[in-house]
Amino acid sequence: MRNLSKLTFQFLMPAAMILAVAGEAGAQDDMTARIALGDIASVETLNLLIALEHAKERGVDIELTAFKSEDIANQAVVNGQADIGVGVPYPVIQKVDAPIRMFYRLSELRFFPVVDKKYESWEDLDGEEIAVHSRGSGTEAAANIMADKHGITYKNISYVPGSEVRALALLNDSVDATFLDIANTDFVMAKAPGEFHLLPMGDLEGTDEALFARTDWLDENQETVQILIEELLKVTRAINEDPGYVAAERERLGLLADLPEDLAAEIQPYFEQAVEAQLFPQNGGSAEGVKADFDFYTAAGQLEGSPEELKVEDFWYLEPLEKAQAAVGG
Amino acid sequence: MADRTAASRRGLSEEVAGAGGHQIVERVPSDRQWLWRLISFAVVFGGWEIAGRIPVSPSFPTFSATIVALGEMLLDGTLAGAYAETVQPLILGMLLCSVMAVLFGVGMGLSRTVEWFSLPIFIILQAAPMAALIPLITFLYGIGLTAKVVAVMLMSAPIIVLNSYKGIRNTSPSLLDMSRSFMATRRQQIVKIILPSASGLIFAGLRLGVAAGVTGVVLAELLITPTGVGDLITYYRSVAEYPHMFASILSIIIFSSVAVTLLQRAETALFRPET
Repeated sequence: MRNLSKLTFQFLMPAAMILAVAGEAGAQDDMTARIALGDIASVETLNLLIALEHAKERGVDIELTAFKSEDIANQAVVNGQADIGVGVPYPVIQKVDAPIRMFYRLSELRFFPVVDKKYESWEDLDGEEIAVHSRGSGTEAAANIMADKHGITYKNISYVPGSEVRALALLNDSVDATFLDIANTDFVMAKAPGEFHLLPMGDLEGTDEALFARTDWLDENQETVQILIEELLKVTRAINEDPGYVAAERERLGLLADLPEDLAAEIQPYFEQAVEAQLFPQNGGSAEGVKADFDFYTAAGQLEGSPEELKVEDFWYLEPLEKAQAAVGG
Repeated sequence: MADRTAASRRGLSEEVAGAGGHQIVERVPSDRQWLWRLISFAVVFGGWEIAGRIPVSPSFPTFSATIVALGEMLLDGTLAGAYAETVQPLILGMLLCSVMAVLFGVGMGLSRTVEWFSLPIFIILQAAPMAALIPLITFLYGIGLTAKVVAVMLMSAPIIVLNSYKGIRNTSPSLLDMSRSFMATRRQQIVKIILPSASGLIFAGLRLGVAAGVTGVVLAELLITPTGVGDLITYYRSVAEYPHMFASILSIIIFSSVAVTLLQRAETALFRPET
């Protein structure tokens, strides 16, 4: 018995201490962030890339991986192969109770309903066909919300994934009304001047893209999260003040170095339009903004239940954002 | 033959006893075949259930949840509606492809010129990663039904062509010698010796072609435009209804297996009633 106690003291105690220290070390903020993008880095992600570079300068080791789709990037975060994802994983949080929370609103929902000039208003689309991204997508929800608002019924909603594909379909006359992103709206307007125009969307608020991470990672890496959010806030405010900031910072930091010249020339106009459309939220989100999300994503079929009964804290972790807002000021 | 009859009487599996008494595998009574098949399914589905219950990932559903979702989708007509859309390009593609690919394969088997002209193309097509090429189809054929039919044909044609070609080339030389000694014309050789001899491999090619065609249509529905069962997978994934998403995928496996089995039965009933 005495031998057993001795054995415990000599071997098991140090082993337990090593394990405890190792566990502690594992839980500490190691100042690294593996970020999963749902698409390749492009002109439209430059705001995020600049903020990540700034975070690197403050000592955060960033590893950026581009996945084929947002769903796959989400799964990488849920399963622990990545730390931070970009998207709006409301259904994954609600339906499979995935231990992830959103913590920063990267961009606002903005829809650009590009239609043939023969349709002067939403009312003219009554009994006509409209193309959207896919079933259950934000564009479908926006189409349905506008139909309800204007008391119209579409003849058919067709599903054409990819803004660039829908832009080509507009130019080929395969569709006469659809939703595009900023870049493709410009492309269509430039290719066929005077043939298409934008219909008004009114005040539709919500998150288009947010940063999210697992709750345990958020708890263990508070300093990393803090630095990331602070840099995102600073970059967003700089862009909102001067859209030319992006092109200049890209040049300085050497980001997207292999971007062809014609695409590099689109940086300035893209960010000018994005700022004009108030795409980048000045404060990175708020509880009120999340409630607007509940309305929109319930209408889109991504969230279930009554929007009034959904709780902000079940989907978002706003504490680090509030701290960062206080640190950055404004 | 005597061996087979005796074996059947003893309730032994055909595959074992059919090889003229040369046994490669041990004899198993036919009633036990079912037992082993059931055990095989139980192991796979049991493993799936356990993996879902651990869970290996919050997004990975259990087998039981997937089966419940499959039942729901069958009862409310979701699957029937989706497959009604999916089978259109599949049937069109397979009809066009079966006729053309078998003719091409037979032509390659019978003529050196056709063989030299086309064999490299089909070998390259078979080796090429078709899933990577499917998005390129949209550049040529857009995003409609034609693109999906082409995807089905691209996936299944090389298999059918190469099997038909091999079937013709593997005709027994002694049978051909026999036909020549009986003064058979070239036409009689083809119709009475070569084609019947090759039919086994041609039908095997068609079965594999159907399985590849199903892969082609599903890839097209996932990568080109979401319709039919591809739309179900995309939609359920986007709204995180993972049991339904896995049920849609499971339904494709069941659909493909049933289609291949039915084709085998049809082949036996129509062309080999004696077996």
